[in-house]
This record gives sequence, C-alpha cells and structure tokens, in this order.
Amino acid sequence: HPEPVLQVRIINFNFETVQVTWSPRRYSGTNLTFVYNSDEASRPCCNYIVHESHTAGCLLEARKDEILCFSLGNGTDILFQKCEWISAYLKPSSPEDLSFRWHEDAVTVTCSDLPYKRLVYEIQYKSIFDTEWQSKEGETCNVTMQGLDSEKCYFFRARVKTLESSYGSDTYPSDWSKVTHQQRGELRGEACYTAVHGPAACLLGRVEW
Amino acid sequence: YNFTDCDFEKIRKKYQEVIYQALNKYMNGVKTTEFNNYIYCEDPPDCLAKIDLITFYPTHGCTTLAKEIFAIRTNATLTLQCPGYSGTQINNTQAKKKRKKRQVTTNKCREQVSHLMELWRRFSRISKQ
Amino acid sequence: GESGYAQNGDFDDAELDDYPFSCYSQLEVDESQHLLTCTFDDPDVNSTNLEFEICGALLDVKCLTFNKMQEMYFIRTKKFLLIGDSEICVKLKGKKITCRKMNVVKIVKPEAPFDIRVIYREGANDFLVTFNTSHLQKKYVKELLHEVAYRQEKHENDWMHVNLSSTKLALLQRKLQPDAMYEIKVRSIPNHDYFEGFWSEWSPSFHFRTPEITGRMDP
Repeated sequence: HPEPVLQVRIINFNFETVQVTWSPRRYSGTNLTFVYNSDEASRPCCNYIVHESHTAGCLLEARKDEILCFSLGNGTDILFQKCEWISAYLKPSSPEDLSFRWHEDAVTVTCSDLPYKRLVYEIQYKSIFDTEWQSKEGETCNVTMQGLDSEKCYFFRARVKTLESSYGSDTYPSDWSKVTHQQRGELRGEACYTAVHGPAACLLGRVEW
Repeated sequence: YNFTDCDFEKIRKKYQEVIYQALNKYMNGVKTTEFNNYIYCEDPPDCLAKIDLITFYPTHGCTTLAKEIFAIRTNATLTLQCPGYSGTQINNTQAKKKRKKRQVTTNKCREQVSHLMELWRRFSRISKQ
Repeated sequence: GESGYAQNGDFDDAELDDYPFSCYSQLEVDESQHLLTCTFDDPDVNSTNLEFEICGALLDVKCLTFNKMQEMYFIRTKKFLLIGDSEICVKLKGKKITCRKMNVVKIVKPEAPFDIRVIYREGANDFLVTFNTSHLQKKYVKELLHEVAYRQEKHENDWMHVNLSSTKLALLQRKLQPDAMYEIKVRSIPNHDYFEGFWSEWSPSFHFRTPEITGRMDP
C-alpha cells in the first residue's frame, strides 16, 4: 500500500459520539473540510476540532450501529474517502457503580450492562501480596471470583472489551473503572496498605514424572 | 431463499466458533478496515442473504470463494440451520484443487471477504441472545 | 449427539453388540492438525481384521480410514469441518458391522495441563499454585474448566478438589496441616457450549511440604 496522504483515526465513543481526527502528512497548514453522508445526503462537519488554528478533526453524533461514509478535501480535490462501520472503532464506556456480593471464599461483582451485545466484561483483582492483577471475564457484568481469602484485603477494577469476532480488531478497551478496596464486603479505603510487609516467597518441592 | 426461519442463535455460535477462524485465516493478517466497507445489512435475515450472495455467487474479479473452507462451513451451517435451504453442491475434490491452484489470493477476493467479515460481525452483534 | 446402530444384516444383534466402541477428539494437537482416537470398549475384542472409518462433516473428502496402533485406532488430519455430525463405523472386510453418529466438537478431550508449581508466600500465609495449558494458544477449544486435586500424602483417598477457569490458585495455609507432605495435580475439561467433551488426563503431580507452625519452610 502507498503511504496514505492523510493519517485518519476514528473513535466511536460508546455509540454516542464519533470522533474522526486527521493529521495531514503533505497538507499541513491547510484547512481540510470534512463531508459525510447522513440519510442519503452529504453534510459538512458542523463540529470541527481545531488544532493550531487548522481543522484537525470532526465530532459527530452517533445514532446507531451504522456505516459512516466520509471524505476529506482541500476545497479543490478530495484527498481521502472512506466508508466504515462505526462499530469497528468502538470504545465502550467504562463500568460504573460496581457492586460486590461476598459468599464464603467468593465474591460476585456486578454492574449495569451496556445496551449493546458481544462485549467482554473484565474484572481484575489482586491482594496486597500479589504482584500482578488476576483477570476474570464474563459476557455480562456479573462475574464471580473464587478462592479469595477472607483475611486479606483486595483491590478490584473493571473494564469492557469487545468480542473480536463481532467488532474486529481495531476497537479500544474501555478505560478502567476506579479501583475499589474490599475485604469480605467492607470497604477498606486506605486500610489495605497498612498491612503491607514484604511477601516472602519460595518455590517448593519437586515434580513427580 | 428467505432466511427468516433460520435458527440465528445456532448460526451465530457456529460463526463465532469455527467460521470466523477460517475467515481470519483467509485474510492472513489483512484487516477489513484496509478496505472500503459500504455493504449494510439491516437485520439477521438480510445479513444472511447478503452473506449467501457474496460467498456463493462469483463476482467479476473473484470467482473462487465458494471453494474456500469458510464457504464450505457457511454452506454446512446454513444447510443445518435454515429449513429448506438447499445449499451449494460443492464438488469436494474440485474444491481442493481450486484452493491449491489459487496460490495468490487476489485483492479483489480479499475485498469481498472483508465485506463478508463485516456482514458476519454485524449479524453476530444484532442476533437476539 | 451420539446414537449407535448396526447396519449390516450378516451379523445377528448379539454379535454386533460385541463391538461397542468409544472415541475422543483432540483439536489442533499440532498446529492445525486434529487427532481422532477410537478404541473398543472391550479390550479383549479380537480386532485383527477390524477397521474404523469416518464419513461426513469432512473437508474435500467423503470418508477417511483410521490408522491402527496396537488396540488403538486414530486419524491425524486437518479435514474436520467442525460443523455437523459424522458417522464412525467398524468394518470387517470392507463391510460395515456397527456405526455410531458422532460430532467431533462434542467429544473433545483436552491435552493435560502441565508445569504445576507451588510457591509458599510467608507474608500472605498461603500457597500460590500455578500451572500451564497448551489450550491458551489454540483457535478453537480455548475455554476450559480446570480441576485441581490435592491431598496429604499419608491420606490415600482424601482428595480435596477446586474447580477454576484460570491457571492460578491460592491455597490458604490455615486450611492445610502444618509440617505435612502434600501431592497436587490438575486436569481440564471443555468449558463451552459449542465444544464439549471429556476430562483430560491428570497433569504430573507436584509434591510439597508445608511449614511447621513456626512458619519456617523447607522444600
């Protein structure tokens, strides 16, 4: 493929707003115009993003899972033209209001599902002794994690990803939710850190072949 | 053929578990977003009708899709899950020869398969469960 | 689904029933090659002239004949369509004597997990168990349920079991006996509504000793 004249980036924020941004390689310093198709009619962008007093992007209202056809020109020539499903560039909104239900050594984390399907709700958790987050995923925002220690304080966070077979590989994961600290259902705020002392670890025993 | 009476949920599962992998393998790393994707489908029957059309009916510049593994799986799926769908009679040995002879996947065929992938994705997003 | 039926009139029903068999599939065992294995349920069957054949739900061919190694019949191929039922038959001198309808994606036996390790975390008062599975890199059977089993070595049949979908588990020190030798192993089963099947073999066992009450640990 020859080097494209323009580098164009599309982000579909939760099927609410679509942001198309461009960075001209050869046409820097030129005010490019953005025209898109909507209801069979061509419409100019009415909400430009301006950078160093030149057009650098356009914000569009997204209405549904649809195809966006648009072009970019310098007034005389069309420099770039594309049609794309806006779902291919989806960035879901991040989960809010996580709720926790503890039962024995397990916790079920829930939040409200987004209104569209084929998403992956990822919950990450770790205790203060864990160096990495552990992930558990679900097709809905109702994910149960087992084997937790009631005597430990845990961090939790959540995000939403898209299923590649339903959206493709150019989407974006949502931002992480804010981190919650919990120990068997009590919110622990900063108390999680007071118990910290260096975790000693040693590999044990032998493998039987 | 009217795809209204098909079992969309079973088709979606077969697409997600075995057809999608074959489509991906065919594209060999080329992304659908590298093509212009302008073919829309409104609802599951409409999507399946367009998938059937592009998969099994040759177009100018790309005549061999019906022999590909994703097409044979699509054919088997529609035959199983769409009452009365007769499906395309694929001559097995010829299919293998065609796949062997077609060393270079034409760009026109990749563009067609890009449309197919976008239609399948749309189908999986909007089918009920 | 699985249903068995005899097809050949030369044998009376009693004889046909003498050849019940079972099969399992392993997908992508190496790269994109799959493996289908069948054996007679009765190990004493005289299988000298008996052959196995699979027909239907295949790419490019109508049927495939199994290879034989001792009492096991197997096919290594890329030709599974992975959609719809096949028919697997036992043949004697070219004649089908008994057949079963099987779907290759419903008889999946995962590869055994491996590399099970236990790390004692003194500060956390727990044992971090980790293991590996080749299925993380596969395109088809990616989702498995794992069963970890552990026991105190001197208590022969007193196995404890934990089911999990990840490959990491913390065993709490307070739930184990101090200063005791333990054995731990893990196996897997498909955990999906498209690919179904059977438990894998157990992983090799790992043995470890828990610290005495004082918390000192010696491997």
